[in-house]
Amino acid sequence: MFEEEDVKILIRALKDCGGYDFSDYSLKSFLRRVEKVLYDNKMDIYTLTNAIKIDSNFLEQVVKDITVNTTEIFRDPSVWQIIKYRVLPKLHAQKEINIWHAGCSIGMEVYSMEILLYEAGLLDKARIYATDINSDVLKTAEEGVFSYRSASEYLDNYRKALCVNPYNMDEKIIVPIEKYLDFNIPKDTLKVKPFLLSKAVFKKHNLVSGTNPFNVKYDMILCRNVLIYFNQTLQNKLFMDFWKYLNDDGVLVLGIHESILGPMSSKYDKKGLIYQKKLF
Amino acid sequence: MLYVVIGGSAGSFPVVTGLLASLDKNFPFPMFLCLHRLKNVRTGFVEALRLKSVLPVSEPYDREPVLRGHVYLAPANYHMYVTKSETISLSTEEVVNHSRPSIDITFSSAARSFGSKCVGILLSGANKDGALGMKAIKEAGGTAIVQSPDECQVRTMTTAAIKAADVDYILTGAQIISYLQKLKE
Repeated sequence: MFEEEDVKILIRALKDCGGYDFSDYSLKSFLRRVEKVLYDNKMDIYTLTNAIKIDSNFLEQVVKDITVNTTEIFRDPSVWQIIKYRVLPKLHAQKEINIWHAGCSIGMEVYSMEILLYEAGLLDKARIYATDINSDVLKTAEEGVFSYRSASEYLDNYRKALCVNPYNMDEKIIVPIEKYLDFNIPKDTLKVKPFLLSKAVFKKHNLVSGTNPFNVKYDMILCRNVLIYFNQTLQNKLFMDFWKYLNDDGVLVLGIHESILGPMSSKYDKKGLIYQKKLF
Repeated sequence: MLYVVIGGSAGSFPVVTGLLASLDKNFPFPMFLCLHRLKNVRTGFVEALRLKSVLPVSEPYDREPVLRGHVYLAPANYHMYVTKSETISLSTEEVVNHSRPSIDITFSSAARSFGSKCVGILLSGANKDGALGMKAIKEAGGTAIVQSPDECQVRTMTTAAIKAADVDYILTGAQIISYLQKLKE
């Protein structure tokens, strides 16, 4: 174990030497992650702090290990059903559609979105932007090649998200998964079909900076299971940032067990599992 | 004030529903359930518990404040932590003991936050998740109760806990219910 003062020194070093500001992370989850990094590297907090000051590659690695990278294809199918039936239909009239995946990890939801857009005939006019703090996951996301073993348990999500209409359960929808994904079970790969690749723009970006990484306004921002690692001050700041960067009728999609607390909660309308930007 | 944390896996569902059906509707403490479920059983679980339960049951939001007499079920695919400030915090960090939610995580956080006010109950299950959590609860001065392995549909989990921790009671499902019914401030 270590003292609060030691943690502050570590946070300061990550900021001074790498420009990563963890001071508004939820202290509890930051400590948990640091404990794991210390355990995996067989280090104490003093050695770790010194090592990141000397070795910038190691610092980058520590930042990657502190941040969490869980994602799934069509995670929480009910959310994707709402996007399909309640959000996308409103975007048909628009000339272009801008979508930002903030904290995209290895991009499984980026490709999930592309599949929905393609099914809706909207992919051509969509611009898909995706960011993460971790350059390794962005590389995997860009390549669109995943482990079949780790993805296969989520294939049921695909079926529910694409083939079930919750507003008309009798409707028969058939969208074979092979239309979008190539499997190679012996090689343990699941590859996104080439026509979906190089559609999204992936970019390294730290949400804490508060900047808009692409200088456009978005119709939809997805930031799922990212803010749970931040304290309420930072959460509120990001709800403010997202509000600024959304179009007037834009929507924000959070993790299914996240909610908007604090002052910014009055600036969004909760519509089922998504948040609609409110102007007044 | 007491805080009841219950962990279970394969074979625990009937025990949990039996328990939720038998408590007094004025049960004065919050209860936290961390139950493994099949990966593809994401929905319907909380509804199934609600059908039987005399207490309100919900899958909490991150940072949700804890209420007395309320049952919190760890949502599928999230770890559930309870904090000293009596809020629940969720995370999508790595699986622990092949599980998310992990019982060890919920139990250990309850032990750290509530110490001797923590009552941990571990039920039937097919892996060793929960054993370290039970040990943490004991070390923090809390009460550790394990369902009798002889009664469990799958005894791996309870046996592991009994081995890892010096548990206070080894009880049948029915005895666990009457223990909880007698819990007072």
